[in-house]
Amino acid sequence: MASITMRNLVKKYGAVTVIPDLNLEIADEEFIVLVGPSGCGKSTLLRVLAGLEAIDGGDLMIGETRVNDVPAARRDIAMVFQDYALYPHMTVRQNMTFALEMRGMTAAEIQPKVEEAARLLDILPYLDRRPKALSGGQRQRVAMGRAIVRDPQVFLFDEPLSNLDAKLRGQVRAEIKTLSKKLKTTMVFVTHDQVEAMTMADRIVVMKSGIIQQVGSPEEVYENPRNLFVASFIGAPSMNFLPARIEGDEIVLADDSRLPTALMAEAASGTGEVILGIRPEHFELVAEGQGLAADIDLVEPLGSDTLVHARAAGQEIIARVSPDLRPRAGQRLWLSPVAGKAHLFDPVTEERINSQLRQNA
Amino acid sequence: MSMKPSDSRLLDWVNVVLLVLAGVLVMTPTAWMILSSFKPSFEVTAYPPTLIFDPTVENYVTLTEQTPFLRYTMNSIIVTTGSTLLGLLLGTPAAFVASWTRITWPAVVALMARMAPGTLFLLPWYVMFRQVDMIGSYWALILTHAVITLPIVTWVLLPYFDNIPRSIFEAAQVDGCSPFRIFRRIALPLVSAGLAVAAILAFVFSWNFFLFSLVLSNSQSKTLIAASFNFIGEGSTNWGGLMAAATIIALPPLILAAVVQRWLISGLTLGAVKG
Repeated sequence: MASITMRNLVKKYGAVTVIPDLNLEIADEEFIVLVGPSGCGKSTLLRVLAGLEAIDGGDLMIGETRVNDVPAARRDIAMVFQDYALYPHMTVRQNMTFALEMRGMTAAEIQPKVEEAARLLDILPYLDRRPKALSGGQRQRVAMGRAIVRDPQVFLFDEPLSNLDAKLRGQVRAEIKTLSKKLKTTMVFVTHDQVEAMTMADRIVVMKSGIIQQVGSPEEVYENPRNLFVASFIGAPSMNFLPARIEGDEIVLADDSRLPTALMAEAASGTGEVILGIRPEHFELVAEGQGLAADIDLVEPLGSDTLVHARAAGQEIIARVSPDLRPRAGQRLWLSPVAGKAHLFDPVTEERINSQLRQNA
Repeated sequence: MSMKPSDSRLLDWVNVVLLVLAGVLVMTPTAWMILSSFKPSFEVTAYPPTLIFDPTVENYVTLTEQTPFLRYTMNSIIVTTGSTLLGLLLGTPAAFVASWTRITWPAVVALMARMAPGTLFLLPWYVMFRQVDMIGSYWALILTHAVITLPIVTWVLLPYFDNIPRSIFEAAQVDGCSPFRIFRRIALPLVSAGLAVAAILAFVFSWNFFLFSLVLSNSQSKTLIAASFNFIGEGSTNWGGLMAAATIIALPPLILAAVVQRWLISGLTLGAVKG
């Protein structure tokens, strides 16, 4: 159990700088999810934490200890790999006891730990099987079991759910979250799946090109994305972006439709180009002639709600509406953002225009 | 593109004919050698060759009674086993390190040494071993034969190590293993099939190697294959004896290859099919 501190952390591969200058504090017992698209440096950062990659600059502290030059073997961390990386020539039990044997623990000390972890993960019946004889989900549990028996200071997860089918993924996601509450250990979880990030994290770290874009609770990152990248990455389907102009207390869109600035989450006035960001679930139906005219191209019924792909203000947008509405392709809907939920972004800097949020009523 | 059944049948036939041709080409000298070893010496060189003859074991009797055949066999076994073990001892960690670090140039240098003609090494080695008074010793032969076994072991095992997902080594690192422990506890058990293939190939190549033993051994340490050269005299050659010796020399590699052919083929093609 330990906190992690990264100060001005730099990681390069030859001439390519993957992480230019990263600062992050992870509290003891916190569940942090690093999320971002492929190549954003999240897995590299995890490997740096694990000690599998050397650090080219800055400081990495686990607890009070600077671990820049401490090899992986002595960092007291456990890692669950994307492909589970179980030892194929060992049984499940041997996979789980291996690290403890490396530490010089006796069989009498090891046995109860393995039994306990196996019971916790429901893999007791498989202890004497080889990984080859297990299903993907069972292998995943063994990989977790191997980490748990170590009782490490920090758990690292490198996209451990990406090889599971959708149903199992949801189940294991919930199990890992429950486990994190039980184990009370600092956990760093890497994923490119924003649903995993939202559902599991105490705090999400959104990364792009080795740079942290935003750190915050799932609600914070979802409700108040700092820039266009975060706004587009978090949330599925992605936030809709519409080029617009502020004219006094109105926002004028490409098709000349107008929305009052009072609807925005940020206080904005004056004149200037902006990008209006509205999440699909933050549209509401309004009376004909008000808000945006959206001509439906495609309807995707999901059961609980319905996704409407439409053209509005010269852009393709997606709106999440009630299935009771029974929208049809070719139909025109009149949509307006829910008050206090739409955001304005600077088209040049791509930052959200006003970090000073209007107090929502 | 789909193939007509008639085309596919034709291809099958071509395949069979080519395989039979290749078989005949490879097996004819071997069959000739074995048959000749059971012929009286004068009949070996008869032209046209006789296919029907009275078989005799005379050549084998001469071989065991008139030459220290058992000693030569023991010499071959000692040198071949020693050089195979030395090759495994040095080549296995070398292949692991080359795979781990992805630095393969030392392995390429070792391969070049294997490709170079043996005569290139022979003179310097002769001078060196003479200076330390090792000519005729088993160690001179074992060490020199390692130039054959070491590259074989390294190159056979390299794709086996490459085939182990890197994350398994990394998991072992995180689990607290030093590189040496990863090698011993994780990597070695995972390449056991490759070790068998490498050992057999190294054994066969070392067993069959003629040149170093001819020059660096003496009458006490001569290996079978170099000793068989004794049957070739300046005036006449004892063909029957030579064929009997050659047949016995060829037996261990042939038996080994037959027993483990399935492993051998999978071992030799492992690198080729890696995705």
